Amino acid sequence: MKKRVLIVDDNMDSLMLEKDLLEIAGFEVFEAKNAADGIAVARKEKPAVIIMDVRLPDMRGSKAAMILRQDKETNDIPIVFVTASVMAEGKEEINAITNSGFIGKPINTRIFAKEIRQFIK
Amino acid sequence: MKDKKKNKELDARIYAESIINTVREPLIVLDQDLRVVTVSRSFYDIFKVKPEETVGQLIYDLGNKQWDIPKLRELLETILPQKATFDNYEVEHDFTTIGRRTMLLNARQIERGIGKERIILLAIEDITERKLSENMLKESEERYRRAFETSLDGLLLLDKQTGTIVNTNPAAAKMLGYSNKDLLGKSLNDVGVLKGAMDFKKDLAKIERAEPVSYKDVPITTKEGKHIDVDIYLIDRARVAQCNIRDITERKEIEAGLEKTRKELGVTKISEDTAREFAESIINTVREPLISLDQELRVVAVSRSFYEVFKVKPEETVGQLIYDLGNKQWDIPKLRELLETILPQKATFDNYEVEHVFATIGRRIMLLNARQIQRVSGKERVILLAIEDITERREIEKGLEKAHKKLQELAAELKRATRAKSEFLANMSHELRTPLNSINGFSEVLYDETFGPLNEKQKKYVNNVLTSGKHLLLLINQILDMAKVEAGKMNLSLSTLPMKSLLHEISLLVADMASKGKIEMLLEIAEDLPDIKADELKVREIIYNLLSNAVKFTPEGGKIGMRAKKADFGIEVVVWDTGIGIAPENAEKIFAGFFRVDTPYSRVTEGTGLGLPLSKKLVELHGGNFSVESEGLNKGTQVRFTLPIISKKAACDEEKSFDCR
Repeated sequence: MKKRVLIVDDNMDSLMLEKDLLEIAGFEVFEAKNAADGIAVARKEKPAVIIMDVRLPDMRGSKAAMILRQDKETNDIPIVFVTASVMAEGKEEINAITNSGFIGKPINTRIFAKEIRQFIK
Repeated sequence: MKDKKKNKELDARIYAESIINTVREPLIVLDQDLRVVTVSRSFYDIFKVKPEETVGQLIYDLGNKQWDIPKLRELLETILPQKATFDNYEVEHDFTTIGRRTMLLNARQIERGIGKERIILLAIEDITERKLSENMLKESEERYRRAFETSLDGLLLLDKQTGTIVNTNPAAAKMLGYSNKDLLGKSLNDVGVLKGAMDFKKDLAKIERAEPVSYKDVPITTKEGKHIDVDIYLIDRARVAQCNIRDITERKEIEAGLEKTRKELGVTKISEDTAREFAESIINTVREPLISLDQELRVVAVSRSFYEVFKVKPEETVGQLIYDLGNKQWDIPKLRELLETILPQKATFDNYEVEHVFATIGRRIMLLNARQIQRVSGKERVILLAIEDITERREIEKGLEKAHKKLQELAAELKRATRAKSEFLANMSHELRTPLNSINGFSEVLYDETFGPLNEKQKKYVNNVLTSGKHLLLLINQILDMAKVEAGKMNLSLSTLPMKSLLHEISLLVADMASKGKIEMLLEIAEDLPDIKADELKVREIIYNLLSNAVKFTPEGGKIGMRAKKADFGIEVVVWDTGIGIAPENAEKIFAGFFRVDTPYSRVTEGTGLGLPLSKKLVELHGGNFSVESEGLNKGTQVRFTLPIISKKAACDEEKSFDCR
């Protein structure tokens, strides 16, 4: 069975690039353009891993992650923050989320799918 | 007849004594054997000696031989015997009781009327504080803080809104018996100072109008319930009010002792003339302007310094009504109040502040000490006025306050600016990376032909896009790193680095590039090269930067190399090349950032111009040294750097000390 991944990102280019790379690598990809949709899709589809941008239009990705962590249905899904905010400031909010990872933008397209796969148990 | 003569003698002596005790300047009278005859009240205050240890002693023996000062011996034993008058003799000395002091001495040798005895008058001006004030203005805050910390007076800084203590010095804590921490947030009333005796708002309003507020000889209660007699002054310090508490227990004891000495002194016999001469000498020795008036307020005598400071002539002064001096310049309402209202009721009045604009010398702020002496013979009174010009001191204080305020504003501004800069950098980083994610990501996928083949031209073009995108990313990263180092925000994450294998590994990364340019690479890595504790990513970056620079700036057929060896405190690495070198005039510019020499090679080289300055900063961050040597253009370059065995930050990380953040 294909591994299911959810990408939450409001930047269309990022979304498309990550989706293409993961589909080529054999994932089934769901997408959401804001945190609220992302949370709804996560609850419905229960993906094996969630790729989350940090600056989302309706709330910060870390806040969305906290909401997912409080829900029994989604609290153990690994969350990988893929973000252009790579400075030390703001890293704490990501580190506070259990079972999460971090990949800085620009991504390395040659190893991206492999990196994501490592977060799946 | 005999009685009359005796009374006159007594008058002259009392007059001399009064002068000694009116001036603020410490004054000391010695006999010809250099034994102390008498000293002024202020001498005891300032030099912390007791009357019983002073009078009759050899001056050098005073206060446990603290006064055995070579320069003083020179003055008393060599200079004075030849020259009866000597002014502004500067002496610096470490006193065990009061620390290092700088003093200016005025000395007079007076031949006594009867006998061949001599007496010596020494007026001492302590200019330590003055020098300190001047320095304080220059070095402002740090100095102020230090003065605050070391002041013998207890100092409490009070919040103007609430009247509570926001800062204290150690002396205040010691005096009151509380810890510094305990004092914070308390009101003066809470800690036993001026219990119920002060209206803070009222006093605050006064000091903000620059009116002095002081409480003289009031008792305070310490934490243990002990009572101490103190003088309290309030001073306006811009955002806070400063409360000075001076312990006067000792001074009161001294004054009591002095009274005793004065009675004993009555036994010594001095003729009237000698006493009068003695009084005159004192007046002319002290630096403080001094004026003596008869009961009609006519000038009897003034000190030499009075003429100098107030620019009046002797012939316009003696015998004149004080108010008429220097073309009625001295007709000052507050002076009239002191002489006509206060003094008749109170024979002694100290630190009476008068501000006046003199036609000749401009605005002056003066502190007056006044004494009214009743003559033993007859009903006449004599008034002595000692004048201290505090204009300059006030100005220094004001300047200091202003500088202090300005410094605080600057510090706040700097803090704001730093925060704004950090936010700007974080935003810039984010905003630049987002489009680069598309540029690099899509061109990489295209170049890899993931979704189908490209023709040769297309592949070449998309590779150019990718290369430029990566170059741009490198630039962004290096600019941000530079900014981080400069802001002190670059943190090192230390681990043990196997240096020998690390250096070989990095050299492999540039070996390809070197052989493409037909450049030979030589490695001399010492067998005993130790491992070091440092930030691996940063050390890799430094070495890669230097090796790739060597390749970039060396023409075909040249040589590059790396030497590494154990050094005194760690390792030393030299990266050298036979390339284009550095012209002497560019030696400084290479660290400025974005500086690239315009040579035929710079066109073919890929670089940001930030590699060298960033490497230098990273080496220094580790506690190492970094230097670049070149004998000139086309003579090659040598970059030498050291790294300690354990980087500076290591100790910090372990202690989690505040300084390291």
